[in-house]
Order: sequence, then C-alpha cells, then structure tokens
Amino acid sequence: MSRIRIIVIVAITLIVIGTGFIVASGPEPHIAIPPEILWTFGFFNISSTMMASWAAMLILIVLGYFATRSMKLIPTGVQNFVEGLLDAMLTQMEEVAGREKARHFFMVVATFFLFILVANWVALLPFFKAVGITQDYGEEIFHEIQEQQVKGEPFDDDHHFLTWIMDDVGGVKMALPGAETFKFELHLGEQPGEALDRYIVALSEQFTDFRATDDEHPSEADVHGAWEALQADPEAPKFHGEGAHAALPAGSKLASLAEEEGVPSPALGVTLSSLEFPGQKVGMVYPFFRAAFSDVNNTLALAICAFFIIEFWGFQALGLGYLGKFFMNPLKNPIMTFVGFLELLSEFIRIISFTFRLFGNIFAGGVLILILTFLVPFIAPIGIYGLELFVGLIQAIVFAALTLVFAVGAVEQHGEDHESHGTDDYGHDPNAPGDTHAPLPSGAAQAH
Amino acid sequence: MGSWVMPTAYLLGAGWYFAACIILGVVVGRWADGQTGLEPVFTLAGIILGLAVALLGGIRMLMPLMERIGSDSPEKK
Repeated sequence: MSRIRIIVIVAITLIVIGTGFIVASGPEPHIAIPPEILWTFGFFNISSTMMASWAAMLILIVLGYFATRSMKLIPTGVQNFVEGLLDAMLTQMEEVAGREKARHFFMVVATFFLFILVANWVALLPFFKAVGITQDYGEEIFHEIQEQQVKGEPFDDDHHFLTWIMDDVGGVKMALPGAETFKFELHLGEQPGEALDRYIVALSEQFTDFRATDDEHPSEADVHGAWEALQADPEAPKFHGEGAHAALPAGSKLASLAEEEGVPSPALGVTLSSLEFPGQKVGMVYPFFRAAFSDVNNTLALAICAFFIIEFWGFQALGLGYLGKFFMNPLKNPIMTFVGFLELLSEFIRIISFTFRLFGNIFAGGVLILILTFLVPFIAPIGIYGLELFVGLIQAIVFAALTLVFAVGAVEQHGEDHESHGTDDYGHDPNAPGDTHAPLPSGAAQAH
Repeated sequence: MGSWVMPTAYLLGAGWYFAACIILGVVVGRWADGQTGLEPVFTLAGIILGLAVALLGGIRMLMPLMERIGSDSPEKK
C-alpha cells in the first residue's frame, strides 16, 4: 500500500515538473547585480528595487492607517494585530536593553525590523522579477556602432549586450517562452566596421540556420554567408544601405540616414545605415519590482541610517565624553589607546557588515529561487520559498537586534562594566540617571 | 482518508487562486497598455488590483480552514 502511494506521489511530482517545463518555461534567466533602471527624471533614477521599497512602505502606511483609524481601549481586528506585534517586539527589546533604553530606541529599531521584514516578504510575491517594461536592443546595438563610426574612432570601452528574443504578442512586446539569451559585445579598440561584420554574423546565427566558422573573427566568407542567410529569411532582421542588396527608395528616411551615418562593412564592401526587424526582435525586460534589499544601494542606505542614529544616541547620552571611547591618552594607557582605535574602526566597519549581510542573503535567495524555477519548475521552488520566508524574518531580526545592541553599547559609560575598578577614567558618574539598563551579554556589542 | 487531504486541497486552491488573480491582473493590464500605449500605467494598476483581490479572496477562502484547525486543536477538545 505504502509502495503504491510512493509511486503515485513520484508520478504526480514528475507530471507536475514536466508540465512546468512545457507550459511555464520562461526566457533563460539573466542575473544582474545592479538594479534595473526603469525611468530617469533628470539626475534621479527610479529602479526596480526602489519600486519594491516604496511598495513595502505603502503596505506599512496602509497597515498603520487602518490600525489607528478607530482605536479602542480593547483592541480588535487590525489594531489588535499591530498592537500584539509591537508589544512582542518591545518585550524582546526590553529583555536586551532594559525598559528605559528599549523604549528610547524602540521607534527606530522597530521601523528597521518592520521595513526589512515587509520588503523581504513582499519580494516573494509572484509578480516580482517577472513583469516589467520591455526595450528593444537590436537597433540600439547598431546605433552604438553608427555613433562610433560618426566619431571616426575605435571603441574606447567594452560594451556588453545581453538580451532575449522578443515577440509582439497581442500588441504587447514580451520575451518568448524558453527564449535563449542573445549575447553580443563591442570590444575595446575595435573598429565600427569590424563590429558591424560580427553583428551581421551574430544576428544571422540567432535568426537563421546559418553557422559561422568563427564568431569572434568571422572571415569574409562567413560575413557573406551570414548576409545571404539574413536576406533569404523573410522573418530575419534586414540591413539597409548604399550598395546593399536591398535598394533604398530615393529621398526616403533610410536613404538620408545612409548618407549621414552609414557604417562601411569591410567584408561586404557596402555601407549600411539602418536595421529593421520584420519579425522577432532582441530586447530586454526590466522588471517593475525586484527585492528591495537585493540592491546594495538600499542596504547601504539603511546601514548608514543605522550608523548615524547610533552615533547620535551615543552623543545624546554621553555628550562629548562619547569620543572618549575612541580617543584616549596614549601616555596614560597605550593598550586602551589601541583598543579605542580598534573601536573607532569597528564603528565604520559595521556599515559594511550591515550592508553586505542583508544584501548577500536577499540577493542569494532571489538567485536561488530564479535558478531552481528553471531547473525543476513548480516543485523545487516551493521549499525554497519556505526557506526564504524564514531568511527574510531572520535578516530583519538580525539587523534590528544588532542596531539595538550597538545602540546600547554606544550609550553605555565606558568604565561601566568594570565596576570593580571603582572609578571612571573619564570623570563620568557611572550611576548617573538615565543609564539604568540591564547588562548586555558579554561580547554582544562586538558582534558583527 | 488522511486528515491532511482537506487542508492540502484548501491550500492548493488558495495558491492557484492567488496566482490566477495576479496573472489575470497583469495580463489585462499589459494588454490595456499595449492598446493605449500608456505603459506601465495599466500593468501596475493590474498588479495592485490583482493583488488586492487575491489577498481579500485568499483570506476569505482560508478562514473556514483556520476555524476548522482551531476547533480541532487539542485544547478545545
């Protein structure tokens, strides 16, 4: 009986995976570390990760609005949920920092926690990294070659282009299911004409059955063969220009372009001035939303906020005496001077550790889900989604908890944990009001 | 039948419902964008609308399951 059950489960799993390969095969995944820039307003770029952080903010604002819209003494519904959540967080913080300090730090630390948590969890919704704007790249590559030809110089840098084959489906451009990435690179020091010959070969290999003997350094015969193949296929992209096989109507836009920005092809002996895609195109999909913290800019921004607020709390609690933690008289105590220097360094290193811990975890999670979706569709990503829910929560806790621990460390009097010494090296009263807190677990403030 | 069948069926149903709502919102939004040339206005509107419907409907679908699990819990027994 149990054997039959196992066979049935395995069979169903295989069928689901098989169906996934057939119906849900998206274009080949492309992993990019920088966020996709969707729109630009002057110097201000709006990226996919920025959209995701705005979405997280919107969710928190809406939740806050509904939770506080009609507050009751005995909470119900959303108010009950939010109050329960905040109360649980405050209790946890009081255990670490003591009642007074926990309440002092609560707003900032809780904001970090909720923002990171919501941003991480919202990134697991299905439209993340899937829906976006499309941009054609076929003409863009050719325009790049044209511009370089106008300058009359070889390329001064490498330009990578990584695109998919796109099609017009119901008036909407989209990447074809299962489409392979189309890679093309303009090399440093390459003449525009050479790049054009390689581009003709690359397009021909992508859109027709033509195969060159050498993609990187195509021979004259290769370029001729590629050209013929492109001309023969009605669906393939077509180049136009002077001396080209396709004649240009006199006075047309294409003819005037040919005069202005034609690129001579050394192998074909013609000048090409425009490129047309009658059928499919090569292009990119820029997703509207991508996990907010899969962008190092966002995690860095958050880390800098954490750094400044911790330093602010330090100065607020200890005044200029806060600097005494880092700068000590080397004649009085050379070892502590060195320790103070290390403390100062660690304040700044925290920014880096805060940044890359969150970024690494969330980015890697996104890549894992993306790759597994293509390796074993439907089945394997389910477990990883569960794991990512956990990782999202853990990272939010880690960021908030470390901020809290560092903040407690910052407002602490320096000699406080050496009470047996009886004196404070910096003239502060260790029993001054406002410093009543539970002692930290040893070494907690140094955790990274 | 095992006690896991009903919850599994509920969760599968809710999962499909959730995905379908968002996909429908996106597809209709993309189509409207293609027709009007206003990309990405309708796509974003479709995502938000699909998500809202998915959330509200999902909560409504899963409520009976939550109540059943609550009533089956050992404390209540």
